[in-house]
Amino acid sequence: MLQLKSVTKVYPGNTKAVNDITVSIPNGEFCVLLGPSGAGKSTLMGLINGLVLPTSGSVVLNDEQVDARNQKKIQQRISMIHQQLHLIPRLSMLHNVLSGKLYALPLWRVLAKHFPENDQRRACRLLAEVDLTESQLHRRVSALSGGQQQRVAIARAFMARPEIVLADEPVASLDPTVSRSVLASLRHTSKQNNTTVVCSLHQVDYALEFADRIIAMREGKIVFDGPPQRVSESELTNIYGSSDDHKPAAIKAVPQIEREVALA
Amino acid sequence: MSNPSSISSSKSPNEARHHSQWALHRAITPKLVGILLLVFIALAWSAKNTELDRAAIETGQAIVALTGATDSKVLDSAGRFLDDAFPFTFESSIEVSRIDNFDRDSLPLFSRIESRETREYDAFTETYLTETKEYLVNPIGYLLKVLAKMWESIEMGFWGTVLSVAISIPLGVLGAKNYTPNKLVYTGARTILGFHRAMPELIIALFFVLMYGFGPIAGIFALAMHTSGVLGKFFSDEIENAPEGPQAALKASGAGSLKVLRFAVFPQVFPAYVAYVQYIFERNIRTATILGMVGAGGIGMELKGRWDLFDYSHVSTILLVIFITVMTLEVVSQRIRGRSL
Repeated sequence: MLQLKSVTKVYPGNTKAVNDITVSIPNGEFCVLLGPSGAGKSTLMGLINGLVLPTSGSVVLNDEQVDARNQKKIQQRISMIHQQLHLIPRLSMLHNVLSGKLYALPLWRVLAKHFPENDQRRACRLLAEVDLTESQLHRRVSALSGGQQQRVAIARAFMARPEIVLADEPVASLDPTVSRSVLASLRHTSKQNNTTVVCSLHQVDYALEFADRIIAMREGKIVFDGPPQRVSESELTNIYGSSDDHKPAAIKAVPQIEREVALA
Repeated sequence: MSNPSSISSSKSPNEARHHSQWALHRAITPKLVGILLLVFIALAWSAKNTELDRAAIETGQAIVALTGATDSKVLDSAGRFLDDAFPFTFESSIEVSRIDNFDRDSLPLFSRIESRETREYDAFTETYLTETKEYLVNPIGYLLKVLAKMWESIEMGFWGTVLSVAISIPLGVLGAKNYTPNKLVYTGARTILGFHRAMPELIIALFFVLMYGFGPIAGIFALAMHTSGVLGKFFSDEIENAPEGPQAALKASGAGSLKVLRFAVFPQVFPAYVAYVQYIFERNIRTATILGMVGAGGIGMELKGRWDLFDYSHVSTILLVIFITVMTLEVVSQRIRGRSL
């Protein structure tokens, strides 16, 4: 269980990036963060994994409060998936996945790249879960496509058996077809490992399709929190503002029929 | 129609002038002329210092002398070398009487026995003494010796590079701002690297010859010391400039510095480092050929000895071997570099 209790983060210059947010996310939930740029999504993620410390309020991960002292330890229990992936291009797919668990291994094993067999097996299982094949196992990730690289990043994030996986716009640079299958892989893997996922997205239609729960933010506050079925046209206006210009193209692009299906 | 000059003069100097009055770019300014003059004076003074005036005159004379019109000291000296330099000396010979337990029936490979007449002037009797001596001649004996010496130089270059890598990797890590344990270690590592880099091989070699005596040890250490400074600085800079994203990602997952270094930095830095090591290796072999001049082993020792004895035909053999080796090295390393790492 991840709990945020009246969390506020004020940046220098008196910008309230996150304003008095209280929310709790049960283990294993696939939770999507929506909201326009600057709504405070990235700050909220930073607060969860201890990269950003709250000005007031507290973040509690399975009964342990996140603060300056246990920052490092908390970070080992939380994995990040970045938009820019940050994979190591010249290492193989297998080694990139294994690199998600370096902290738990003795130094000599890391220096010699000599990984225990059960770790390697787990990496293979995760890669299979995100639909990658053995033929690519020892290939450099720089030789893979964008979608495949994002899958490797997902597998790496789950390698250390984290309690939470934070994904910051994981499909921002992928085309729609690939985006869908990558998100499906992320969801599948999270369900397989019973891991909580907090994933920020710009595309409302993907959120409707994959989320167990949608949390929408605007100007540092939560403006919507509920299952995708409850997201309506008026809620979207509430999140992104009335002007169409502020909405991502995806909202306008979602055909009415498809949305009705999703809402049904 | 208004007169532009009247417009500009009617306004305060701070306000925009009409474009017809904007200051244009001038290619030649008094400042530029002054600078050029100073540069010219400095160059002329330096050229006088370094005898470039004499070089110009004598080179001119040499070019004129090529037509046969005049004599040239430069050409004469070059001619003296060239007259003796060819043909190359490949064979070696040794007086049979100087060989212990000489077995006439089983000569070494390719070797033959030759009788040579020597004429010596005897000052007592004021006559020429003619004497016939037998020599054991190996037609490629000297060439083999030079090749062996060349191989020694190549080996010196190799071990110099190996030691240089071994020194430069730890110093390079300690001298990288983002992985050094503290400022003191950083400064120390960078200072050592700077010192190694600043010391020319020939001078280091002199000291090591003093310490370890004549032979390749001094040369290897000299090469290792100088090039570790070069490689180490390169390695430090590469580590500092490695892409930060992957490092940040691994750090965020709780991995320690050494692990991040091994996983997110080394693989990224590796290709550039290997290319640089290859260049250093090549360069070390070239340098190893001259290190022998101060007694630090390799083909340079042979070259210096023969040069001092005016054995120019031997010198030309040595130069031929060096030239072929360096060219081969160049071709081979081009091939290797062509392959993508």
